[in-house]
Amino acid sequence: MNSIKGKGLSVLKRSNMTAISLVLAAMVVIAGIISPYFLDIYNLQSLIRDLAFVGMIGISQSLLLLVGELDLSVGKISSLCGILAGIMMVDMNVNPFLSLVIALMLGIVFGAINGLLITKLRLNAMVATIGMQSVYGGINLVLTKGKAITGIPESIYSLGKGNLGPIPIPFLFTLGVLILVIFLAKKTKTGRYIYAIGNNREAASILGIKVDRIRVIIYAIVGMISALAGILYVARLGSSQSSIGESWPMMSIASAVIGGVALTGGIGNPAGALIGAAIISVISNVIVLLGVSVYWQSAVSGIVIVLAISFSSLSAILAEKKQKRIKAAAN
Amino acid sequence: MKILEAKNITKTFPGVVALDNVDISISKGEIHCIIGENGAGKSTLIKCLTGVYELDSGSIFIDGKDAGKDRSLFDKIAYVPQEIDLFSHMTVAENLFLPYDKTGMKGLINKKDLEKRAVPLLKGFKIDVEPDTLIKDVPVSAQQLIQIVRATVHQDYEILMLDEPTTSLTTEDTALLFDIIKDIKKTNKAIVFISHKLEEIFALGDVITVFRNGKKVAHTSLSEVNIPWVITQMTGRELNQNEVFYSEKVSDDVLLEVEHLTGERFTDVSFKLRRGEILGFSGLVGAGRSELMQAIFGYLPAYAGAVKLNGQPFKLGDTNYSVSKGLVYLPEERKKQGVLPMLSVRENISISSLAKLQKSFVISKKQEAKLAEEVINQYNVKTPDSEKHIQYLSGGNQQKVIIGRSMVCDPKVLIFDEPTKGIDVGTKVEIYRLMKSLAEEKGIGIILISSEMEEIIKCSNRIIALYHGRVYGEFSYQEERERIMSAIIGVKPDCEGSCVNE
Repeated sequence: MNSIKGKGLSVLKRSNMTAISLVLAAMVVIAGIISPYFLDIYNLQSLIRDLAFVGMIGISQSLLLLVGELDLSVGKISSLCGILAGIMMVDMNVNPFLSLVIALMLGIVFGAINGLLITKLRLNAMVATIGMQSVYGGINLVLTKGKAITGIPESIYSLGKGNLGPIPIPFLFTLGVLILVIFLAKKTKTGRYIYAIGNNREAASILGIKVDRIRVIIYAIVGMISALAGILYVARLGSSQSSIGESWPMMSIASAVIGGVALTGGIGNPAGALIGAAIISVISNVIVLLGVSVYWQSAVSGIVIVLAISFSSLSAILAEKKQKRIKAAAN
Repeated sequence: MKILEAKNITKTFPGVVALDNVDISISKGEIHCIIGENGAGKSTLIKCLTGVYELDSGSIFIDGKDAGKDRSLFDKIAYVPQEIDLFSHMTVAENLFLPYDKTGMKGLINKKDLEKRAVPLLKGFKIDVEPDTLIKDVPVSAQQLIQIVRATVHQDYEILMLDEPTTSLTTEDTALLFDIIKDIKKTNKAIVFISHKLEEIFALGDVITVFRNGKKVAHTSLSEVNIPWVITQMTGRELNQNEVFYSEKVSDDVLLEVEHLTGERFTDVSFKLRRGEILGFSGLVGAGRSELMQAIFGYLPAYAGAVKLNGQPFKLGDTNYSVSKGLVYLPEERKKQGVLPMLSVRENISISSLAKLQKSFVISKKQEAKLAEEVINQYNVKTPDSEKHIQYLSGGNQQKVIIGRSMVCDPKVLIFDEPTKGIDVGTKVEIYRLMKSLAEEKGIGIILISSEMEEIIKCSNRIIALYHGRVYGEFSYQEERERIMSAIIGVKPDCEGSCVNE
């Protein structure tokens, strides 16, 4: 019995990613059965285009979760960088692609500012980034006076609206981000240090790991990916708006958590965040397709998200109960 | 009269039989000592007896009734865990009476009332703190005693279980605790006492039960046996009690030079460490030894003074610099500052030498696995495989992993802070031998912080005693125990006990 138990537990642990992928697959199948429109190519394309943005931020956000921190200013960094790119392209006639690159760099700067504030002044990440999202959001309003910046050059539209074959281009960027982040987290020294810091920050410091430098680097990465998402969204809309990315902070964290990344740090795989984002998107999509009243949509998708987050701890609780039953029967 | 009786209890974890068909019985008015090496099953036994774990098989009878059927019987056991688990931002009084519904408090809580009730309890244990002090401002030794008071606040307890209660206590406090335990024994309660310190067991206990590899190997009255017998039972082999472990190849080169270093809790400390030398730092808990070493290592700030390594000025305040220069600190609090609990043994080993294992930014899986195997074999780490999360290894094996990974980065100075805290006799000797061979064969300078007199005398070439953050004396290993002892408690060695400090 001993050996069976050991095996069961290790399979449960190792198959965390498999389990969450199976949940996604099951949801897709169910969605296809209950709504004939779900598997329609146009519906899938728009669904995937939608999830690309939260997905890429969720992937980078999971690096922060791995060191036990988070960034709630991501959405505002996205819109600010989108607006700055818009101003450069429209008002200053900078080459569109050059302005996009500059906006990405600015994203790195904004992220690094968050990181430096948090590490140098020893602030709590959540409180500091709530403050910073107000700052970035405020700058947005000052720059735009609340109006959208229109007249974005059409040459960049394809970055947001285009497809490569059947695949929406923003999603290709998300896959690119995924590959780079997974490489960083799983294959490099820095990645291993990230897990070490999340496991035990004091021990990491005593091992001689430059804990604060790595934290700042992650904030900078998150800033850059947020900027990327913001710019791509501008390309999709054809205009820069301060309302871009309002739901992204919470959604990116929820995606990572559903994908098995622990809020306490040290555990999880950034790939989980993309699957988590997909699960949320499928749920919201099905709710719309089923014609649930607009007023109910938010509540219903919220309930399903909470259920999804509970999934892993629920399965652990059930496994424990099952073991107890087996034991009771054996006695 | 038997108050607790466990029959044929077995408890297994994935891959391990932690307790194998164990019988044990505990009588009223008796101090029952339980001893065994790390991983022998002591902690599992305690968790089974206190109802924390469910048994795989077997049964526990408390007061003659089956505790498996009536779990409220477990309330008769007052258990004091090894690690301090008080609420650090609440007052002493609040900590004593939580949870309130079990200590007979109903409705609104009156702070004044609580504090009034706490006073006689604290007095009884001779704890010199005000009941309205926050726990975080109370010395560690007092915290340990407060934990014991808290356990006994429940009036209806019949059995008091103490898990290594003396690890953070001074000799004085330990003596006090023993008096208290003896008083409790007189009230016809049963006491279960777990300790690695054999002297304590013989000073206090009535009967002893020895565990090895999850099995009960011996049970007898303590008056019939002696320390060597207990060690043989625990380890299954005889240990040479007179073996010493100081380095026999001390060079004349000065490796590390500390000059007038001052920081939090230590003042004007100067000393020299030679290549191949083991330098012991002795002192009471709270004498500032760990703070001093962590400041030299760069983890804590130093306010004044300087450090030289190999005659070169050494930068303070940067752990990354220290490690890259070959000064490595092995922390006392393994759990808090040493291991990366949810990473595998392999990842815990490779973490300090990833730079060597990577090829164009990618960590070589093969080389990493090879390194892990090497360390596991060389340092005799007992683990099913290198992929096991390190949190599931015993304390001694975690310590070996930490020593092993420190050696991979080719250190010049190793600072061992209480390297054998909570580690059993057999593994202790392994660690002593390891320190000796590191000093002799690789010429590493070793600083050993230890509160155990035995350990520091057996292992050190020289001993420096710290008292209230100041150097109070320096001794070579042959010098008498009493002289070192008096320096530890603040008597300058040159003034014959007449000029007691403060």
